[in-house]
Amino acid sequence: MPKIMHNPDVLWRRETEVTDPVSDDETVAGILFSGGSMLSLNEFALEIWQICDGKTLEELVVSLMPEFDIDEETLRLDIREFLDSLSQKGFIRYE
Amino acid sequence: MSNIQLKAPLTINWAINNNCNFACSHCYSREDTHDDLSRDVLLACLEKVAKAGVFSINFGGGEPLLRSDLLEISAFSSSLGLKVSMNSNGWFIDENMAVSLKKAGFTKVGISIDSHIPEVHDKFRGVPGSHARALAALMHLKAAGINTSISTVICRINSETIDELVAMALAAGVSQLNFHNFKCSGLGMSNKDELDLTPDEWKVFYKDAIAAKHSVKDLDISLDDPIIALLDARDAGTLVKGSVCGKLSLNIKANGDMTPCGFIPIVIGNIVSDDLQQVWKDSDILDRMRNKQPTGKCSGCSKYEDCLGGCTARALALTGDMNNPDPHCWGSETKGE
Ligand code: SF4
Repeated sequence: MPKIMHNPDVLWRRETEVTDPVSDDETVAGILFSGGSMLSLNEFALEIWQICDGKTLEELVVSLMPEFDIDEETLRLDIREFLDSLSQKGFIRYE
Repeated sequence: MSNIQLKAPLTINWAINNNCNFACSHCYSREDTHDDLSRDVLLACLEKVAKAGVFSINFGGGEPLLRSDLLEISAFSSSLGLKVSMNSNGWFIDENMAVSLKKAGFTKVGISIDSHIPEVHDKFRGVPGSHARALAALMHLKAAGINTSISTVICRINSETIDELVAMALAAGVSQLNFHNFKCSGLGMSNKDELDLTPDEWKVFYKDAIAAKHSVKDLDISLDDPIIALLDARDAGTLVKGSVCGKLSLNIKANGDMTPCGFIPIVIGNIVSDDLQQVWKDSDILDRMRNKQPTGKCSGCSKYEDCLGGCTARALALTGDMNNPDPHCWGSETKGE
């Protein structure tokens, strides 16, 4: 299974404090920026971004499963959807 | 995406000095006579900016290479994780300097060139030989592994030479050619009648520039003017609607004064004494720039959502009200048509 690799040119930062009250899906928790593209991330997406470098999709599912109260297949689909948007913008590649 | 309020700018355009070896007719900073920040104060400010979460700094001036501590300032900035670039006239960049700039962390350097014709550029800049030195600088920078771009402020001396400017950029091997709109600030305002185009001439220029952008490969032709929304030419990837100033970027002057952009002379704080995130969040001026209200012909214009009345700096400089339609706008598109 291919490994996810960060594009080293991508800059990212947290927009909220880690200590802020837990945000909803709509809150912009962080942003990714590279050249002409920017992507705003909610807390879930930001967490994936922070841990995905060098991991496979399955490894991500295993590490995130304990944190979410959803079934494994839904989580896998959610993660994959987000990874697809990252890869479309060139923020990650697969190796 | 367009409405998110970031905690700090992504990028800062930082004029680290006011002095320059050139005397350009469109200069916006020549009339600025404040003192530059000392090295120690500047380094402390850069630390502040990095801590606030800023990603990149684009140094400008004046001519930044006239600061003898530029390399140290850049190396310090990149050690803080900031991405460093600059705009220069290229005069001082020989082979050795290009290598030093690379070592000091510069990832991109833009050189200002006003015309493909050496004599026209030299006369405009007030310095014979400056065109040749600008092109040589681009060559040395590229050889040193620095990404290069050419910046051209569009005005009467070059608006009908898009093809020639593109050919020059391709020959110089730059990755980007920036066509900047004419802003009417500083000397640009005093020389406006001589240099600025009429709205209809802007329309012709942008039509041709957009055609070049689509047809030329291997060169990113960048047009930073929101009014190209009238030609349906705002890139889908454009990060925000209207101008980026005060939404993604901020300007800092040589004395540390913060302004929304280099062309809006309203000081909203000073980086030495104020907290960047606080100013970014609380400034009334930035708030008004982020929440512009349509007036006049913009009120009925179907492009308003994309264009937001065009360049805020220009509207303010020429009409006194940032909400007024950009004076370069050649029309308006009636809603529903
Ligand atoms: S009328 Fe206003 S909103 Fe419409 S294109 Fe002109 S400046 Fe932009």
